[in-house]
Amino acid sequence: MKYSYYPGCAQHGTAVDYRKSVEMVFRSLGIELEEVKNWNCCGALHVPDMTIRSALSARTLASSKGLDMATPCNLCYSNLMRAKTALEDISLKTRVNEALTAKYDGNTKPKHLLEVVVKDYGLTKLAEMVKKPLKIKAVPYYGCLLTRPENKFDSPENPKSLDNLIASLGAEPVKYYYKTKCCGGPILITNEDLALELARDLLLMAKESGADCMVVTCPMCHLQLDAKQKAVEKKYNIKLDMPIIYFTQLMGLAMGFTPDELGMGKHLVSCDKLIAKIGR
Amino acid sequence: MKKEIILIESRDAAFRDLVLETPVGRKLSTCMQCGICAGSCPVSHEMDYNPRQLVRMVQLGLKKEVLNSNTIWICTTCFSCSVRCPRGIRPTELMETLKPIAIAEGVKNKNERFDGVFSDVVRKNGRASEFLLISKYSLKEPEMIKQAPFGLSLFSKGKLPLTIDKMENTRELDTVFKLGEKAEKKESKEIRETGTKKEKEEPETQETDK
Repeated sequence: MKYSYYPGCAQHGTAVDYRKSVEMVFRSLGIELEEVKNWNCCGALHVPDMTIRSALSARTLASSKGLDMATPCNLCYSNLMRAKTALEDISLKTRVNEALTAKYDGNTKPKHLLEVVVKDYGLTKLAEMVKKPLKIKAVPYYGCLLTRPENKFDSPENPKSLDNLIASLGAEPVKYYYKTKCCGGPILITNEDLALELARDLLLMAKESGADCMVVTCPMCHLQLDAKQKAVEKKYNIKLDMPIIYFTQLMGLAMGFTPDELGMGKHLVSCDKLIAKIGR
Repeated sequence: MKKEIILIESRDAAFRDLVLETPVGRKLSTCMQCGICAGSCPVSHEMDYNPRQLVRMVQLGLKKEVLNSNTIWICTTCFSCSVRCPRGIRPTELMETLKPIAIAEGVKNKNERFDGVFSDVVRKNGRASEFLLISKYSLKEPEMIKQAPFGLSLFSKGKLPLTIDKMENTRELDTVFKLGEKAEKKESKEIRETGTKKEKEEPETQETDK
């Protein structure tokens, strides 16, 4: 299995831990991720002009060398998917292609890494790779842009793919009603108070569910729920202590990698209790 | 309940038509004000006008109120409203449509400044290095000092590298960003032109409203 790989900006900065775990786990599964040469930012949610945003994604999609394009980030994934839909408009496609050296043809299929694992690799095969079933409870948190506005691989209201992945690793996915509710990530710099309020609701609900950790699929969600958790505790005078881990780290733990190999020492909220529970 | 009177002078037909002619705008006339968008929105309680109200205000052409509301900027783009709307309207995309119009009309706020910094960083480097982004934005926004402990905590974990992540060659990106400049000019030209055209029709609009 081989994919063209679009890492996105966070993998080179705040999501180095995610990057480490992706490299480890995918190599071990035998899934080859060939990084796009000279890739550019997708514009996230902060390049306000939608023509530019479509063009940024078109440039990336045009360099896939005929392979499906995998990406680890919900924002990148959503931008690629939305650009693909927007560029079905011939006049927009023509305008965008005038600005591009390598032309966008519309044939590249974007895939989130979760989709690659769940749909393409398959959970039955993944279960065979499990060396150490994880006897823990985990919150499946999808965030917004993995499933919305549309992606055809999972439901925008009640997705199940991450639930199923957690179960195939021997862990228990807890019932969590906020699985696709916004974490506040996109406004964490500009509107901190409001962002913290959104994060608080998610974290409190996770705490009440009795989970040992929250599993995420997006560097923005991770930044908001892990790195900002201290700020939430301080602002609302609550104790949360909720480890936030990437789904690739959860896979890695079950596949027998050490927490360090998966970058878990880089989290702001300690994973020690979680790791002790899993046992080494 | 407070009774609000909408003055005819505050209604801008040119603005209304500009928005109604965009891809998302073409569906706005089907809105039945059910409010599922407002109910689904995780931040509507902090908005000047919730998404349902904003749709109606666009239909009425309340340009100043719409473009100066915090609604279009604090929308987190989560698309909850958009997947639930029974009319297939995507209010999220309405916000995205209104942002460049607000910028072209000279609206200034911290979200607009952040977007500006973000776009500049991507245009110049091709990628958004968090450190560069935060430091440039902090220069424009002194209250960012409050977020210093957050930055330090990331730095201490090696998650905020001080190196700038760059593409090898950003010449092509400059062409990409020029696509927006063209569109922006076209948009503000259109709003000016249609603006003068519509002014003549104004008495007629007044008639219908009475």
